[in-house]
Amino acid sequence: MGRLNRHDEDEINRILSREDEILPSSGFAVSVMDAVRREAAAPPPIPFPWKRALPGLVAAGFALALVLVVIGVAITQGASTSSQFSTSLPSASPSFFQENLQYTANWTALALLATWVSVKFSMRLASSGE
Amino acid sequence: MSASDDQADVERVLAGDISAFEGIVRRWQGPLINLAYRFCHDRGRAEEMAQEAFLRAYRALGQWRKDAVFSTWLFALATNLYRSELRRIPARTVPLDDIAEPADARASDGGLEDRDRDMAVRRAVGALPAKYREALVLFYFHDMDVATAARSLGLPEGTVKARLFRGREILRGKLPQRLAVPRLKEA
Repeated sequence: MGRLNRHDEDEINRILSREDEILPSSGFAVSVMDAVRREAAAPPPIPFPWKRALPGLVAAGFALALVLVVIGVAITQGASTSSQFSTSLPSASPSFFQENLQYTANWTALALLATWVSVKFSMRLASSGE
Repeated sequence: MSASDDQADVERVLAGDISAFEGIVRRWQGPLINLAYRFCHDRGRAEEMAQEAFLRAYRALGQWRKDAVFSTWLFALATNLYRSELRRIPARTVPLDDIAEPADARASDGGLEDRDRDMAVRRAVGALPAKYREALVLFYFHDMDVATAARSLGLPEGTVKARLFRGREILRGKLPQRLAVPRLKEA
């Protein structure tokens, strides 16, 4: 690619400096002012209801922490139990899996219940705010 | 256009007199539409983008710190909007490599040739990578004032100068004959 010499630069300057000017259409200012008035007349955006949401958020945080603790405990216990089984009681593994399945099912049911309650609660909040 | 008129209108709008915004619109509609037009080369779209720029200016009027001239703030806001609009929906351009060079640029008619050449250069500007195109558009829009172009783009002057230089070099590389011919004719 060739270096730009003075003549080329002047030529580009000359061409690009005399770009055609366009005039605003006659109704432009009126249409902008209509949009501005609509904007001004629109109600302000609804702020997020922090006061209402705070108890729910705290409860959700607490529940999450509880779930994490329980999972941590379960993993630790599971690891020690399985190492015991693998060394001394290899035939007991089906009952272990059954226990584990029931345990998981309980937590799934609890999670579904928590989801249902939170959906119901938020829908109630939303309908009371209308 | 007076900076004190702008300041007075802004204060009235902020005090609740929305109609004062019309003064700002009438003073700046031409420049804002023309700036948008240089970005998109589509009259209808230029007006839509300028209208959106005025609406955003209205919403953000309270954020204008009076240490900068109102027009500088308005152009920076509009430039920012136009750049993001063009990134969202690019203007229709011809790829740089598809901008045809005439077989013998000296052979054609003078007036027509000038117009063709000008159009080819403008199309080539439109096909530049965004960062060079934006620098060139702003530089020529602001009457070749690097400082004002840099403020509108929110970039350091050195960066804008480098982009202008590089942008012009790309143009020169893509349009060697078109830029070389006219002076031969005039000589």
